[in-house]
Amino acid sequence: METSFALTGKGYVIVAADTTAARSIVKMKVDEDKIKELSSHLLMAYSGEPGDTVQFAEYVERNIRLYQIRNLYPLRPSAAASWVRRSLAESLRSRNSYTVSLLLGGYDLATHTPNLYWIDYLGTSVEVPFAAHGYGSYFALSLLDRYHDPEASLEEGLATLKRCIDEVSKRLVVSPGKYKVKIVDKDGVREVEL
Amino acid sequence: MARRYDSRTTIFSPEGRLYQIEYAMEAISHAGTVLGVLAKDGVVLAAEKRVTGKLLDLSGAKEGGYGGSGEKMFLLNSNVIGGVAGITSDANSLVNYARTVAQQHLLQYNEDIPVELLAQRLCDMKQGYTQYGGLRPFGVSLLYAGYDPHYQFQLYHSDPSGNYSGWKATCIGANNGTAQSLLKQEYKDDISVKDAIGLVLRVMSKTMDSTTLGSEKLEFAVLTYDEAAKAPKAKIYKPSEIDALLKSEGLAKKDEDTEMKST
Amino acid sequence: MSIMEYNGGSVIAMVGKDCVAIASDLRLGNQALSISSNFQKIFPVTDRIYLGLPGLATDVTTLRERFRYRVNMYTIKEEREIEPETFAHLVSSTLYEHRFGQYFIEPVIAGLSKTPSGGVKPFIAATDIIGCLNFAKDFVVAGTASSKLFGVAEGLWEPDLEPEDLFETISQSLLNAVDRDAFSGWGAIVHVITKDKVTTRTLKGRMD
Repeated sequence: METSFALTGKGYVIVAADTTAARSIVKMKVDEDKIKELSSHLLMAYSGEPGDTVQFAEYVERNIRLYQIRNLYPLRPSAAASWVRRSLAESLRSRNSYTVSLLLGGYDLATHTPNLYWIDYLGTSVEVPFAAHGYGSYFALSLLDRYHDPEASLEEGLATLKRCIDEVSKRLVVSPGKYKVKIVDKDGVREVEL
Repeated sequence: MARRYDSRTTIFSPEGRLYQIEYAMEAISHAGTVLGVLAKDGVVLAAEKRVTGKLLDLSGAKEGGYGGSGEKMFLLNSNVIGGVAGITSDANSLVNYARTVAQQHLLQYNEDIPVELLAQRLCDMKQGYTQYGGLRPFGVSLLYAGYDPHYQFQLYHSDPSGNYSGWKATCIGANNGTAQSLLKQEYKDDISVKDAIGLVLRVMSKTMDSTTLGSEKLEFAVLTYDEAAKAPKAKIYKPSEIDALLKSEGLAKKDEDTEMKST
Repeated sequence: MSIMEYNGGSVIAMVGKDCVAIASDLRLGNQALSISSNFQKIFPVTDRIYLGLPGLATDVTTLRERFRYRVNMYTIKEEREIEPETFAHLVSSTLYEHRFGQYFIEPVIAGLSKTPSGGVKPFIAATDIIGCLNFAKDFVVAGTASSKLFGVAEGLWEPDLEPEDLFETISQSLLNAVDRDAFSGWGAIVHVITKDKVTTRTLKGRMD
């Protein structure tokens, strides 16, 4: 089942999401990228109702891009999170709401800090040091409580992420096979192989 | 002949000019001076008040409004002070608009509006009145002294045509040419707020019609950064604070100045 | 499972002698799973009014932003700060506007109002999810631990407590009530509002 993790460290945010696109009990695709690069220093992992996810992610992506074109500089992570949250909260009380869970990770160039936001389909948004969505979260959050260190180096952060992925693979019945991992730091976003 | 192209703001004259806008700018160049200086750790604004008369009831303005607004200095948002020159009623309407825009940005993005974005939004509105039919442009120039995390301290100027530009030190209103050449001579790139206050007051005292400075003719505001609160701090001076400041800078009116006393 | 218990969280406000206190827990959960141990539910409205918003977390943020906007516009237009009584009615009418399609929040307001003689008078109030006001003279409670809070506060509160004693009373009331509630806890924050300052303290509770 869909699972995504994210954690902050010293000057970076790691965002990871599984790569399966499933329909009912069938895996349709095993190399789906569910982490969008919203701007030079902003990542968004999305999961939830198929259809809603891509639709909403693209809506966010284009609005963030529009802001950047109009105003010469991109939205800061906190402002982007507020805007996305508001979109979901307004959608919730509309006739057809988006059912999407998000992890928004960014590096704020103005304050030089990594920021991570946990956002659910209701429009609940909270800044956290680490976060997870999906069934994997029941295993990963307790591991992260034990092993997360906000001052950890990138190697240590990736090792912690590896622990989460391994634990989910070991204990979750419907565990996903592969993950895509992206990092955002002062130099921007990049993908890494675990 | 020019008359034929005067009445409509939206029509170019044969020489390619928009007369109404030029007239609006002319009106502003007779208004009270507003002067701004950008320092490395803040921005300083000063304005000359034109309306003085002992019958004018100012008791309502004693306390200062939202953030201690004056006649020509307004807190547009917690991170931006605006100084206006021109038609007061037009200015009030623009200030209202700016405050609403800033609050809507706060509502939508949970952050103080970036200074340039606020200037842009006002200019979009001003420009609209130079193009859409039958209306008069805003007879107002503004100085925006602000802070945002993108570019730290900033000073912008916008005019009735909807043009805006960023400045290290500038001046609008009466005698702005004199003031600007004075500023050009005396401005240093790494000036501190403390020195900027002195510079602003010195230039003001030279450009204003009256020989002496006092709180009845001067408005003053400073934007700095409050390290403790991790937020910009906008301060629009109260009349008593202006007099105290002038005294400490050695520019206060002298006791023998009876002319000022009688007015 | 009621939507009011989806995220969990509780708020309490108490009156003292020329002071008021308001406190909340810091948990944000997804039913039984805790997501954050630093989710603020109490927000400053002016220098001497605080607003607590326990309930559905999405509406905590939405209402917080909405009230900030309304209060800022009020301050600009009126050229003065809003009084607690006025603000309570703003809260009430905002919630009742959404009578059909409610915000799932039970707001708690704590503040000091100005008296004509220049002194201050403690003010607390709470409303239900559609804005029915309850002005209390002693204390108000709301959130998933409200039933427990009623019991403890009833036992501990007494009239005319000085700021330091009020802090102790509200802290003990909250910490002991949330210990019996699975949906609240994970530390607490307490604001004590007096005439010339607001004292804010973050407390550790049973962090489980």
